Amino acid sequence: MLHTKIVDSKKEKILTSNAEKFIKDSKFGASIYFLGTVRNINDNKTVTGITYDSHDEMVIKSFEEIYNEADQKLDIKDKAVFIEHAKGYLKLGEISIIIAVACKHRDQAYVLSRYIIEEIKKRSPIWKKEHYENEESEWLKGNPIANEKV
Amino acid sequence: MKIKLELFGASRDFSNKDHLELNVKDQSSIDDLRNEIIKYIDKNFQGNENFIKVVKSSAFCSENNEIISDNYKITKDQKIGIIPPIGGG
Repeated sequence: MLHTKIVDSKKEKILTSNAEKFIKDSKFGASIYFLGTVRNINDNKTVTGITYDSHDEMVIKSFEEIYNEADQKLDIKDKAVFIEHAKGYLKLGEISIIIAVACKHRDQAYVLSRYIIEEIKKRSPIWKKEHYENEESEWLKGNPIANEKV
Repeated sequence: MKIKLELFGASRDFSNKDHLELNVKDQSSIDDLRNEIIKYIDKNFQGNENFIKVVKSSAFCSENNEIISDNYKITKDQKIGIIPPIGGG
């Protein structure tokens, strides 16, 4: 069971309550909520906010691929996964990503949650532009996209 | 061939619009397209080194949202997305 969405910060916010509703089921004994939030310092610079950009279709596709791979690579068949990533400007402390997972057992939930965030970092076309206190801003360098089909 | 190059991430600084319109020869490769973008940067941004670095380190994606290899041949007018190095989360 999978939910994915790019959340436009101009229109709405990522809410943990939505994730809770989606993954809650008495057949699961372990739930983990991973939240990425906007931090105030990066590389010794004072950050005031981040603008996120994304290739929406490719991001959603990458979330689906990562979810499907978890079946084969991690052998976790029975699971609920809720992934949302923000797009647009976020202030300090606001949620940029939520990955909520529910599995039968805690070891599966920890492995699955970590797997999803690490794969998103490698494969999902999302970019960050940091804004600093001196009103400057900068796109973060990032890493070349990993794609097995290349 | 007319290419509508959709801009993402750091490449958005290449234009006030969300895309560039470029012309390449029939059977051009992605490497040829890269060179065409660099020519555009030379002309419009005096060869801005940071912009050129972005182009050289970027991947490209097709209208079907697949990453396309450097050997891909452009044989029709199409939309292509430039995918600079990523870093979400």
